[in-house]
Amino acid sequence: MTLHPREGLGGSLLSRRRLLQLGALAAAAGTGALAGCSGRPTTTAESPVRLSRPDNPVRLPRFDDVPAIADGLQPETGGTLKVFNYPEYLSPDVLTAFGKQYGVDVEVTTFTTQEEAIAKLRTAGIAFDVYFPTVDIIGKVVAGKLLQPLNHSYLPNLGNAWPQLRDPFYDQGSQYSVPYAAFTTGVGYRTDVVSSVPPRGWDLLFDSVYKGKVYILDDPREAISMALLRAGQTDLNTEDSALIRAAGQMLASLIDAVNVKVGITGYQLLADGQASVHQVWSGDIINAQYYLPEDVGNEVLGYWYPQDLKGPVGTDTIAIPASADKPVLAHVFLNHLLDNDVAMENFSYTGYQPALTVATPERLVADEYVPEHLVAAVITPDHYSKGLQELQLSADGDALWLDEWAKFRAGS
Amino acid sequence: MTALDQRPDLAPAATDQRRRRARGLGGALWPLLATPGTLWLLAFFVLPFYAIAAVAFGYRDPIFGSTVPEWDPRYWSFDVFLDVLNRSLFGDLRAVFLRTLVFVVVALALCMLAGYPVAYYLARFAGRRRGLLLALILAPWWINYLTRMLAWLSLLQDDGYVNKVLMAFNIVRAPVSWLSGNPYTVVLALVYGYVPFFIVPLFATLDRIDERLLDASHDLGSGRVGTFLRVTLPLSAPGLATATVVTALPMFGDYYTNTLVSGSPTTSMIGNEIELYLLGGSRKDVGASLVLLLSALLMAMMAYYLISSLRSDRPAS
Repeated sequence: MTLHPREGLGGSLLSRRRLLQLGALAAAAGTGALAGCSGRPTTTAESPVRLSRPDNPVRLPRFDDVPAIADGLQPETGGTLKVFNYPEYLSPDVLTAFGKQYGVDVEVTTFTTQEEAIAKLRTAGIAFDVYFPTVDIIGKVVAGKLLQPLNHSYLPNLGNAWPQLRDPFYDQGSQYSVPYAAFTTGVGYRTDVVSSVPPRGWDLLFDSVYKGKVYILDDPREAISMALLRAGQTDLNTEDSALIRAAGQMLASLIDAVNVKVGITGYQLLADGQASVHQVWSGDIINAQYYLPEDVGNEVLGYWYPQDLKGPVGTDTIAIPASADKPVLAHVFLNHLLDNDVAMENFSYTGYQPALTVATPERLVADEYVPEHLVAAVITPDHYSKGLQELQLSADGDALWLDEWAKFRAGS
Repeated sequence: MTALDQRPDLAPAATDQRRRRARGLGGALWPLLATPGTLWLLAFFVLPFYAIAAVAFGYRDPIFGSTVPEWDPRYWSFDVFLDVLNRSLFGDLRAVFLRTLVFVVVALALCMLAGYPVAYYLARFAGRRRGLLLALILAPWWINYLTRMLAWLSLLQDDGYVNKVLMAFNIVRAPVSWLSGNPYTVVLALVYGYVPFFIVPLFATLDRIDERLLDASHDLGSGRVGTFLRVTLPLSAPGLATATVVTALPMFGDYYTNTLVSGSPTTSMIGNEIELYLLGGSRKDVGASLVLLLSALLMAMMAYYLISSLRSDRPAS
C-alpha cells in the first residue's frame, strides 16, 4: 500500500475518490490488491493494525507527527484535567485528592463502549487528557494516531505493575499505555441457593434447577467465550465460523434449559437475590458485597473460576490522547494511579483490583477488601499468564461474533 | 358623497381587485407560514434520515473497523442492507420482527380495551369533573418513566406485592415469575407505558361528537348499544386510528421496556436488535439498515392511515 488508509478518512472526499480510482485501476490491472471489494475501501485484509496475542507481541508504530513530551517539564496547573473513562471506574476521592494536590479540577466524562469512546476521540475539537482504552482496541487507536507516546521519565511507578505488564504483549515497551485494573470472568452465585458447584462451574449456568434466575453477561465476547470454554475450546479469539456457530447454539440451549437472561448488573442482581447464578466479572462479585440488603451477610456470595486457571482474564490500560491539553499533568496522573496506596484506595471504590504486585490475595483479604471465601475473585500474575484473553479480531471475525450474538439475542 | 357613490359601477371592480390582491398576498403568505415547519422537518427528519441511510450504505474504516457514513449516494453500497433484508425475511431476524408485531398488536388491543371506556366516560359522562379526571389519569406520567418502571420491578418480584396479593386471594397457587423473561409482562409494560397516549387523542375525538347526532339516533329508535355501534364508534374511528398510530410508532421502536422487565432473548423486540448493533460493536451499518427497514414498515402503515383518514374525511366535507 502506497496510500496510507488514513488519507482517505480525513474528511476529504477527493482523496478517497482517488483511492477508489486507484483501487479500480489495481483491480483492473489484476494485482488483486483491492479486487473483490467493489471499489470500496473495505480492505479488511490489509488493515494496518496488527493483531497482538500473548505469543505474538506487538510493538506499536510511532509517528513523527505525534511526538512524546520532553523530559523534565513542569505539570500544567489551573483549569481542568479531562478524564475519559467508563462510569464508576475511578474513585471520586482519589480524583479530588489529586485535583487538590495539583491545583486543577478533575472532570470525568464517561463512555459505555470503546466504539463510542473512539468516535468521540476522533471528533475534532474534543480533547481529553487521560483515556482508558482496553487491550483489544489499543492497536486501532494508536494506528489512528489518537494516542501520544508516553515519556517514561514521568512514570517511575510503572515498576509497581505486574512484571508481565511492564512490557506487555499488546504494547511492547509500554510505549502508549500503562496497566490499570485486572479481572477474570467467572460464575457468580448465591451460596444460599446453590448447594454444590460442579467441577466445571460453567455448568451452573445450564442447570435447570435455577431456571428463571440465570444470567449471562450482555457481551458477545464474554458470552460466546463462555460457551467455547465449556465446549473445551481455549482459543477465545477464534474466527472459525463452525466453532462460533456451535458456541451460539450452546448459548441458545440456555433459553430452554434455564430461560436465560442477559445483563451486566450481576453485582446488584446477585445481591438482591433476583439472580441465583450470573456470569460476572470478578470485580462485580467484589462489589456485590455493598449491594446486599442490610440483614444479609456476604457469605451468600460465591464465585467460581476454573481451577486450572484456563478462564478469561483481562486487563485495562490508561493512556494519554494525542489531543491532550495537559500532557505533563496527565503523565503525573498516570503515575499517581500506579502508586501502591492510591491504587488500593481506588480499588476500594471500583472493586476492580489494580494490576500491581502489591495487590496480592493475602493482602486483599487481610485488609478486608475481599472476604476470605471470595478469594477466587482475586487475580494474580499467575492467573494472568495462564488465563485466556479476549483480544482484537479481524473485522470479518468481529462480524462473525457479533452476528452470532445477535442471533442468540433474537431468541431464534 | 364620494366618487364611488356617484359611479357605483366602479365599486365591484375595486372590491374584486382588493380580493384578488388579498388572494395574491395569501398565495405568498400561506406557504411562507409553512416554512418553519418545513425547515423543522428538513432539519430533524430528512437530515437524520439521510444520515441513517449514509451509515447503512456506508463502508468499513480500515483502521478502526467501524462503519463510516457515506454521504455521496453514488458510492452507496447496499450489500449490508440486502443481507439484513434477507435475514429479516428468511433468517434469524424474522422471528424478532414477527414477535415485535405480535407484541405491539396485542398491546394495542389491550390499550383499546382499557383506553376506550376511559376516554368514552371522560367525554360523555364526566361532566364538569372531566378536567380533574383527565389530570388524575395523566398524573402517574408526571413521574419519570424509569422511576415508574423500577417501582414495578420491585412490585413484580417473586416475593413482591403483586404475587402476595394474587396468592392471598388464591388467584394463583405459586408465585408468578413476572420478571423471568415473561412475554405477558413485556406486553403489559408496553400497555402501561403508552396507554395515556392512546386515551388523550381518543378523548379529543369522542368529545367533539355532536350530541344531537346521538339524540337523533335515540329518536330514530336505536337503543344505547345500537347508538354506540352505529353512531359513536364510526364517528370515533379517526380518533382510534390516530391513537393507534401515536402509540404504535413508539412501541415498535421501544427497547428499554424489554430490557428492564425481561432481559430474556425470548422476548427481544426489533428495538433490542437495533440497540445491540448501534450501541456496541463495529457493525453500525447493520443497525442502521434495521432502522431503515423498520421505518419502511412504519411508513407503509402511516401511508395506510393517511389514505384511510383522507377517505373518511371526504364524505364529511
